[in-house]
Amino acid sequence: MTAVLGDFIRTLRAADIRISTAEAIDAGAVLGLVGYDDRAVLHDALSQVLAKTEGEKSAFTDVFDRFFSFTPFAGENPDDQPDAGDAVPGAGGLPGGGTGSGQGQPAGDLADMLLGGDQAGLQMALAEAARAVQLNQIRIFTQRGQFTRRIMEAMGLAGLDERIDNDPAVADRLIEARARLQSQVYDYVERQLELVAANAGRQLREDMLSRLRLSNIDRRDMAIMRGLVRRMARKLIALHSRRARRARRGQLDVRRTIRANIEFDGHLFHTVWKKHRVDRPKVMAICDVSGSVAAVSRFLLMFLHSLQEVLPQVRSFAFSGELGEITDLLVGDDIEAALGEALDRYGSRSTDYGRAFADFAEHAMADVDHRTTVLILGDARSNYGDPRADILKQIHDRARRVLFLNPEPRGLWGSGDSEMKRLAPHCDRALTCASLRDLERVVAELLRTAV
Amino acid sequence: MNQSTDQVSPLAAIGAIEQSFATAGYICNRSIATAIFLAQKLEKPLLIEGPPGVGKTELAKATAALTGKPLIRLQCYEGLDEAKALYEWKYGKQLLYTQVLKEKLGDLLAGAQGLKESIARLHEFDDTFFNEEFLEPRPLLKALWAPEGAVLLIDEIDKSDDEFEAFLLELLSDFQISIPELGTIKAKTIPIVFLTSNNTREIGDALKRRCLHLFIPFPDPALEQRIIRARVPDAEDRLRAQLVAFVQGLRGLDLKKKPAVSETIDWARALVLLHAREIEPELVRQTLNVLLKFQDDIDTAEAELHALVARARKAG
Repeated sequence: MTAVLGDFIRTLRAADIRISTAEAIDAGAVLGLVGYDDRAVLHDALSQVLAKTEGEKSAFTDVFDRFFSFTPFAGENPDDQPDAGDAVPGAGGLPGGGTGSGQGQPAGDLADMLLGGDQAGLQMALAEAARAVQLNQIRIFTQRGQFTRRIMEAMGLAGLDERIDNDPAVADRLIEARARLQSQVYDYVERQLELVAANAGRQLREDMLSRLRLSNIDRRDMAIMRGLVRRMARKLIALHSRRARRARRGQLDVRRTIRANIEFDGHLFHTVWKKHRVDRPKVMAICDVSGSVAAVSRFLLMFLHSLQEVLPQVRSFAFSGELGEITDLLVGDDIEAALGEALDRYGSRSTDYGRAFADFAEHAMADVDHRTTVLILGDARSNYGDPRADILKQIHDRARRVLFLNPEPRGLWGSGDSEMKRLAPHCDRALTCASLRDLERVVAELLRTAV
Repeated sequence: MNQSTDQVSPLAAIGAIEQSFATAGYICNRSIATAIFLAQKLEKPLLIEGPPGVGKTELAKATAALTGKPLIRLQCYEGLDEAKALYEWKYGKQLLYTQVLKEKLGDLLAGAQGLKESIARLHEFDDTFFNEEFLEPRPLLKALWAPEGAVLLIDEIDKSDDEFEAFLLELLSDFQISIPELGTIKAKTIPIVFLTSNNTREIGDALKRRCLHLFIPFPDPALEQRIIRARVPDAEDRLRAQLVAFVQGLRGLDLKKKPAVSETIDWARALVLLHAREIEPELVRQTLNVLLKFQDDIDTAEAELHALVARARKAG
């Protein structure tokens, strides 16, 4: 049964639930306690040791339902619903043993079980056989038939066939039962494939998507991307949700110092310094939303606004020609729709960095102070207009940091109408930022150095 | 592999827990009862998360009442430290005793030749002032010292600093704590530990790993009706069904703070006091402030009031 648990935990890990070894051991103990008798209790109990956030709980339920789903073997008494998969309440020892070929079972067994409608025994045999042929190694759908055949053989198909040949009295019933069994095994294999391979495939795809240039991402992958952004944001929130404190050396915290030194009869052995909380950065994001850069802007904004908990003060501005503030648009839950509206309002005009910087100066320059981090995202292609690097210099003088994120590779900076070479000197850092992975890195750094 | 046969079957035990909670006035579902069962059997702390007011703290109280063990509660807040959570030396008492015993000390040291010998003699009585007599136990130590075991409730762990969270790890995994002057103190009987969190910040992985994790969501209508029946027995069946349906509908709205079970109970009490037999728009409007604590939320709810009441009345 530990092998089943091992498979289950591997499947959970594939579904992005983090499970440590210690928790796996706990799960084993839980299994020993509650057994497989009651499916609902088993679900609750395992979810309490293995899934430890709200999101993980729902993922857990999903995997649990699929992993432990067994349609009862259609036998003589179909209302006899088995509970949690491959377990038999009170079954003393496992027949065969996990490492053997499974052929060790008496040859007549399968036929007897089919005839007797021994649900539990059949499920046991199925699980055993599946393990013997290493069903958890199944990767692609073309393997389904092959695995079905191998499982049937491991369950004692040869003995069954022999019995059909030699025992005409029950041959008809057995032939029918064999067909039923085959389709059930096939279903089982298919479900396992879905569990094991679907998650592996999704992980591969997500991994690929997070490296892909954002402007190349297909519309149909947007849902996956949103999920990815959300997950990355959650990770960053978990890492940074604690506010750092820094001691102000030189300012004695009198109250706490006296308290700490009572035990020395008031002689000051320990000194306690006043501390102050490090402020969260104020972030102003200025995003180019014209054609080529729009996709990247979209994800940056999605990212920043998913970080409400650790970055409460984000103000966002969008521009292509003129610039406008879109913070208020982005407060709701439906960021996607809000972004669409922002793009409608400010997108698809010819890009003019000079105009945008001038608008920003007029709008928000007064609010830029020594705690503000200004993020500029764009390709710096200003259609040969003056990019007004002087305004950027002013912003740089006032702000704590100015970061310029450019989706174009560094080699293209300064080519054609790109004004990057003129703008970059007034930024603390100018970075290439084209994929989700890059974005995550930038945002993580924003949080790390500022908090 | 198999549960030992010399004990009650686990399912029966879980059912019994559910039953006895119900008789104690705490209505819970299978999942909560399972959690309590596991926490007792595995001797692991139980971390309870969920929206405010779903009965997280209440669960610890009910468990204490049920097991007959004392409830020791530690409310977490920013700046909570070892001295307030674990133990402190009774400095005053130590000083007083040294003063009172001054003469005795004089006698003791009489005849000692030189400083070295005096100190050597004092060393013989080294631990006199650093023993358990002079230790002021705070909640965590009290829980370890309780001879019959205790129910330890560490409330709102998310409000504490992460230093404190790290400090809890030794206690939660081994049920022991280290006091430099005395050494390691182990629990006499392992206490049942509950931690609650409102999720104002993410709890560290290390802590989560050591705990069972129970998420209590808002109850479904049937469970909430049972809770109301247990807590406000005076409410008539029809009123109860309607008011629960209304609150459930209210939770579907986009509110800053959704009404919790404790607020449903308060509201049910209010309605019973007003001799209501079923809910009506005007009555609801006047008592809405029992359920909702923000003016914005009240405004939102009032806009939907008639539809919600109509739907709730159908449920009754």
